[in-house]
Amino acid sequence: MRKFRMYLEFTRKSFQRSAVYRFDAWTRLLSNLMFLFMWGFIWYGLYGGEETAGGKSFDTMLSYVLISQMLQGLHAAGTSLWEIQERVRNGDIAMELMRPFDYPLRVLFSDLGSVAFHFITAIAPLYIVLFLCFHPVLPSSLSTWIIFILSAILGYLIRYSIELTFGLFTFWLVETGGVEDIFYFSVSLFSGAVVPLWFFPPVFEHIARYLPVQWIFVRAKRDFCWATARGGDLSRDHAPGVLVGC
Amino acid sequence: MMSWIKGARLYFHMVSASIRAQMQYRYAFVMNILGWAMSYAGTAVTMWTVLYQFKTLDGWTFWELLFLFALSVLSWGVCVLFFFHFRSLDQYIWNGTFDRFLVRPIHPFFHFIALKFDVGAFGQLFFSILAVWLSYIKLGLHWQVGRWLVFFGTVFGGTLIQGGLLVLISALAFWTTRSERLYWVVMFPAKSMVSYPLSIYPRLLQWFFILVVPFAFVNYFPAMFLLNKVHTKISLYLGILSPFVGIVFFWLCYRVWMTGLNRYKSAGS
Repeated sequence: MRKFRMYLEFTRKSFQRSAVYRFDAWTRLLSNLMFLFMWGFIWYGLYGGEETAGGKSFDTMLSYVLISQMLQGLHAAGTSLWEIQERVRNGDIAMELMRPFDYPLRVLFSDLGSVAFHFITAIAPLYIVLFLCFHPVLPSSLSTWIIFILSAILGYLIRYSIELTFGLFTFWLVETGGVEDIFYFSVSLFSGAVVPLWFFPPVFEHIARYLPVQWIFVRAKRDFCWATARGGDLSRDHAPGVLVGC
Repeated sequence: MMSWIKGARLYFHMVSASIRAQMQYRYAFVMNILGWAMSYAGTAVTMWTVLYQFKTLDGWTFWELLFLFALSVLSWGVCVLFFFHFRSLDQYIWNGTFDRFLVRPIHPFFHFIALKFDVGAFGQLFFSILAVWLSYIKLGLHWQVGRWLVFFGTVFGGTLIQGGLLVLISALAFWTTRSERLYWVVMFPAKSMVSYPLSIYPRLLQWFFILVVPFAFVNYFPAMFLLNKVHTKISLYLGILSPFVGIVFFWLCYRVWMTGLNRYKSAGS
């Protein structure tokens, strides 16, 4: 119990720290908004005025992009791979390891603080306005909302675990430029963060099925969309159904 | 004239020192280049995935889109060689190391450019040359001398436009002591946006990328010209203007940088 309180203290501290560096929160929001617009217009251009493509309506696609960018905006508030690597590289991590706490847990709890701050002050207000403007398909039942939130949290934990693991690879690799870029590329593509898995070429879809990264976003977005989209959209056939609490 | 020759010799001297410093860690050097090449190849793969079902994006096929993207990466690669370290000017100001640029008998702007020659950019150059070559073959292009001139003019102009924006962002550090962060949250997303044809964005944004931050001249207009893409509203000949736009834009950014420098007071550390 005392341990838990110590970790919560990290959460509180990082919440307060985020409140001090408000400039960071605003700039991060700006960049999130730019990527949201970019992908919105790319999909609008791809649909080219058609109502549906590949059996998915443009409205579904729009909600997909909105949810995906919202989750990405939240993830960006956590400790990045780059920061962990930097710690390992310049030796700061030695100080952390000497202290009487579990380093991965400490990072996770600090992240909770900054993510919470970012969510309350930036992401939530922005996306509430966007949702009111664009009328995406929203889940109607309470249970869907609960499952969505649960999946989003699980997705966050998966992203965090993978990112931490890759960050700690730095102990062996020291310079990680290539590894880092492969990591970011595979997460952004195979997690379906930008292109949903149902538009994937078969080869990539097979690869994606066996990678854990897809559960970062896909699961949450499917939960969000499928209840309202009458099963036709975001159908279960894209899910292996054996992994991670589904 | 003499001072130019002296300047060039000094530049090569400093740059070779910078390259030797980066080559000290052979493994890191290779990883860095590999990393940049990878991340651009990743974007190209994402484009391919996006277009797998749809075939075209606003009339652009995958190979045309790859050409558009590679054209901006090519000039960005050259820009990274010379200007990429401008984004972290704020760190030099914080650490107080910027002050040494002011006490030496070299022009501070020139001195700061010569500080680093980022060999990691070979990753960008490697990717973009390969991608341009591939799309040149796949699209069955046969350029005469004139088109090649436009192509190299675009690389030159694109370098100056993107380098100019880096200089402008770094200049803000003189007022706000922040520049690195602005690079990642403003310039990086903006650069990502113009990897796709400008015509998919709303009119206002198009004008922004033409008149305010002239990224349209980095790749969109030149690619329209070089690929002979028909557009009803704009003249294809806008594509040959890149070098001129680049020179004007870079000069303006340089003026802002010098204004900032004159205003600069040491961080005092």
